[in-house]
Amino acid sequence: MNLRKRIIKGLIVLTLALPLSGCWDNIDINHRVLPVVLGISKSEGIFHVFLQISEPVTDRIRIKIVSGSGRTITHAIDRLSMNMEEHVDLLHVKIVLLDKQFAMEGMSESIVDFMRARDISPKALVAICDEDLPSFFDKVKKGLESQGTILFDFFEKNAGWNPQISLTRVWQVYRSIHSFTRDVAIPIVRSGKTTAIEHIGSAVIKNGRMVARISPSETLLFNAFNGESTQGSIEVMNHASVLITANTMRNTSSMIGDTPYMKSTIRLKVVLLETRGQPTNEMIREELDKLLTERFNAMFGKIQAVKADILGLGQFYRHIIPRESLADWREEYYPRLQLEMHIETNIQNTGFLNTP
Amino acid sequence: MNAFLQEVKDALGRNDDFFVQRQTLLEQQVTIFGFATLVDVTSTLSIFIEQELSARASLMEADAFWHTLGTVEETNVRTAVSAIQQGCVILYLVDRNRMIVVDAAQKELTRSIDLPSNENILQGPSSSFIEDIDTNIGLIRKQRSAASMRVRTFATGREQRKKLTLIYDEVYAEPAMIREMIGQIEDHSDMEINHIQHVSKLMGFPKWQAIPKWNTTELPQEAVSALLKGKVVLFVDRIPFALVLPNLLWDMFALDNDRNYSLPIMVIIRSIRLVGVLLTLLAPGFYVALVAVNPEVLRIEMALSVAQSREGVPYPAIVEMLIMLVILELIIEASARLPKSIGPTLTMVGGIIIGQAVVTARLVSNLLIIILAATTIANSTVVGFQNSLSIRMFKYVIVILAALYGVLGIMAGMVLLSAYMASLRTFGVPYLNLSCKKGEMKHG
Amino acid sequence: MDKSLHVGLTFFLTQLGIIFFIYPEHIIASSSEGHWLPILAGAAANLIVMAVYMKGLGYFSNQDIISIYTNVGKSAAVLFLVPVIFYLYMVNVIAVRAFAEIITIVFLSNTPIWAVTGLLLFISTYIAANGIASIFRTGVLLAILFLPSIGFILTISFQNVDWHYILPLIEKRFEFLTSISYMKSFYVFATSFLFLGFVQPEITYSSKKLLLAALSLIPFLLLAVYIPVLTFGRSTASTFKFPFVMLVGTIHVNWLMFDRVTLFLLLSLITFTMLFIALLIWQMSRMISRPLPKVKPVYLLLFISAVTYIGCIMIPNWQDVEELFICNMVLRIYVWLIIPFSIYFLGLREKRKRSYEPT
Repeated sequence: MNLRKRIIKGLIVLTLALPLSGCWDNIDINHRVLPVVLGISKSEGIFHVFLQISEPVTDRIRIKIVSGSGRTITHAIDRLSMNMEEHVDLLHVKIVLLDKQFAMEGMSESIVDFMRARDISPKALVAICDEDLPSFFDKVKKGLESQGTILFDFFEKNAGWNPQISLTRVWQVYRSIHSFTRDVAIPIVRSGKTTAIEHIGSAVIKNGRMVARISPSETLLFNAFNGESTQGSIEVMNHASVLITANTMRNTSSMIGDTPYMKSTIRLKVVLLETRGQPTNEMIREELDKLLTERFNAMFGKIQAVKADILGLGQFYRHIIPRESLADWREEYYPRLQLEMHIETNIQNTGFLNTP
Repeated sequence: MNAFLQEVKDALGRNDDFFVQRQTLLEQQVTIFGFATLVDVTSTLSIFIEQELSARASLMEADAFWHTLGTVEETNVRTAVSAIQQGCVILYLVDRNRMIVVDAAQKELTRSIDLPSNENILQGPSSSFIEDIDTNIGLIRKQRSAASMRVRTFATGREQRKKLTLIYDEVYAEPAMIREMIGQIEDHSDMEINHIQHVSKLMGFPKWQAIPKWNTTELPQEAVSALLKGKVVLFVDRIPFALVLPNLLWDMFALDNDRNYSLPIMVIIRSIRLVGVLLTLLAPGFYVALVAVNPEVLRIEMALSVAQSREGVPYPAIVEMLIMLVILELIIEASARLPKSIGPTLTMVGGIIIGQAVVTARLVSNLLIIILAATTIANSTVVGFQNSLSIRMFKYVIVILAALYGVLGIMAGMVLLSAYMASLRTFGVPYLNLSCKKGEMKHG
Repeated sequence: MDKSLHVGLTFFLTQLGIIFFIYPEHIIASSSEGHWLPILAGAAANLIVMAVYMKGLGYFSNQDIISIYTNVGKSAAVLFLVPVIFYLYMVNVIAVRAFAEIITIVFLSNTPIWAVTGLLLFISTYIAANGIASIFRTGVLLAILFLPSIGFILTISFQNVDWHYILPLIEKRFEFLTSISYMKSFYVFATSFLFLGFVQPEITYSSKKLLLAALSLIPFLLLAVYIPVLTFGRSTASTFKFPFVMLVGTIHVNWLMFDRVTLFLLLSLITFTMLFIALLIWQMSRMISRPLPKVKPVYLLLFISAVTYIGCIMIPNWQDVEELFICNMVLRIYVWLIIPFSIYFLGLREKRKRSYEPT
């Protein structure tokens, strides 16, 4: 009797549990569409949303681009989801691609919204597209027929990333909106002629708005400055080209009166790849130093002019400038900052050959 | 006809293997009776005659002769019947109305000591316990000859007296635990024991226990190592393995034979078992949770390939998982049932179903098959078949919770399992204790 | 039986389970720089209170706090224990509700809140129903299962830190002393240690080891606050509701097969919280069962969790959870200060009485 009661109880619990599992809209993974890239543009107050969806079909993955529009981003996605046979799930979005126009107008609200909701991971990369989103996606789609994650792999550190590309994630953009001393650089891409995508430099973002643009080779220095490893990048000079194998960074900051001074040293380890003429090691070193210093100063002049501190130089003054004044860093101190740049190069080896 | 004889015949005479033999020993009428199926009648009789001859030669008195055969008792039908049932013969002295219970020459009804059939042993002593309880105790005594070992034998049951032997080592075992156990057995000595559930009832364990209170082993080596850890080994007559009490969590991972390898290898072997248990518990749950509830945890590449493999599967992940798990359980159960000669057919058919057909028919995803296979393999790494059964069962709890709450459900299941294990005690020893040696009870 | 390891570990886990969620927010809000000072000040205060409490309990080696107060007099017991019951109930409701909310925010957006609440309470009640020794053993098992993953995630969470954010080290105005957020942050300390008064005489522990456990929590308190601050900077971190949860969301591990590692940290911590809730329920049932000895403890437990469940369901939104949190503050300070010190003084009295007795 007791046994029978228990069995009946157990069965009741089981039968209750089983339908519950379907109760709260748990959607199996094959009934969700998993967009990898979310493209956003804005015109006349209306958001246009593009999703690059990797759709598994029998034995391969098909790329699909869908788009929708609405007063807000979520509204646009919701309308998209309504019209699709499967549920749109933004949990796997890896890249947020912003229209250049939109970026210039200011995207901080959208970034704040991404951080608020759990859908889009704060780890998603942010990039800016230098052409119309529809035509970009159209061209890219042709390039990626075979592989679903190509756009993402382009930025992935263990796949297609290069030191000339700045890597910036949603949370970093969010941080720059609130931080006193930190701005970010976002990569700019467009569809390439022979390759699927082409990287054409980085956008300088200040308080969620694009204010300037730096070239890929300047981005390399930016990455080196931020301690991002610039391994494997090739520098071409008049007499030689070298492979950078390691970089380290040292800064000393000081304040004289109201003027911040900064001495920075970037140490590069390089390997010789090609030479033209008969340059000595000394020549190559000097040439590299000169080239990089000039390039750095040019970039720094550019960003200093727009008062955007993408190098995070204000961070080095945290112990000097009190917090209240640090809030004015970008406006008060940063434009006056004197930066002295040294590049120290160490030619690690010259390959199998001796140099004169 | 004599009254005693008549009564015994009434009790047992309806069996065709009951024999009654009249004989004259030292000029006295005796009647010998017993079961011809248990006793080798011819050799028993010839032993009696031989003894009679030697008694004659040494001019022994009849009284003294009877005493050399066994104790001369008052006639008692109950004792006689139960002795006969246990394979003795009764020698009835007709003139004096006395009986003698004699251990007769037995028919060879137990197998000889053999290799273990349910446990595999690699590079270790490989004799195993058999049905005969005395042989088993002998095996233990052979394995460990220490003065501190104690063997206590009890007989339980009203209808039939079943022998029950408790072995422990005085140096290592906690006296309070032993006292409690012996008390428990003595208090319930009239309970019948036919199978292990009866033993469980006799020991006063709750019926609804998902984790057995004991470990079973066929190997004298393991039983002796348990004795050295302060545990108690329980033998039941006609059950060809030892019950080791209490069962502790760590026994799931540690086998004494591991110590026949070097220490690093032992550690690796045991950690593999640990991984096996975790994999069995978690893998099916994770599949269900990641496919249905928390796909964001998967990397995008994984997510896409999982989605691709599930394309066209008509039901939710939990149903898919349960169907395949049940089929797998059926295969395991069936291969235990079938005779060895038909067994391979089943494996083959099962292999085809699980390996190919279901996937090709798009009834389940092939990732699921991989997970199921891994689970089943991992499940078998656990020490002790009983333990592997428990783990097999817990996995369902976790799968169902995973379907409801995703990864949270898995963790909740693990907590539930931990709490359940933490609540178990056997004769005062918590299941999570690492050891139940004297004075080492506090760690867990 | 001396179970210092069990008791200490359980204390450690229950604390760990709560410090990573709301605590960082309160500390970050309480001070704009030099956060180590408020953290250490809080931890030191907690150590003192714990030491006093255990010292006081030490005078009554064979009594739990219920019998201590009952021996003083019925009215004393009512005066001291009723607020404790009430406080524990509120903490319980807040904890269950807050964690249910966190779970739905972070990873179960489709699951209704009543289901999550039910799960949390069900498991906690089950743990509590097995008795205190079982709770401790469960704690040990959970520690073995989940502490490694927490260690792992804490290590990799240093991935994005910018050490410059640690500066300036010293904040000279001590603004945290006057901040309400700082007062709120004491919730971390005010609850866990109470159970130490309930476990005697069945289980004994050495107070030194317990203090050691409390001491070893300090690095975690610092980590919980500093990793988000170092990663985001104070001004960004102060915009988050759960800074640490946000932080774990930013960790990117290339070689792991899982994408959101956040989940594992949070879930491990939530398992510790279940232990915490179990302890709360158990303490309440101990206190209520004293005047009602006839009722089976299991029924009391079920009753308490049912009432808690109703309480949780009644709270409509997060705003109200925070309001309740503030309402609870007076009681919290009462429990955190009055109970330990009253036990201490009662202990002194007991000692004096005993020293007179033989003469």
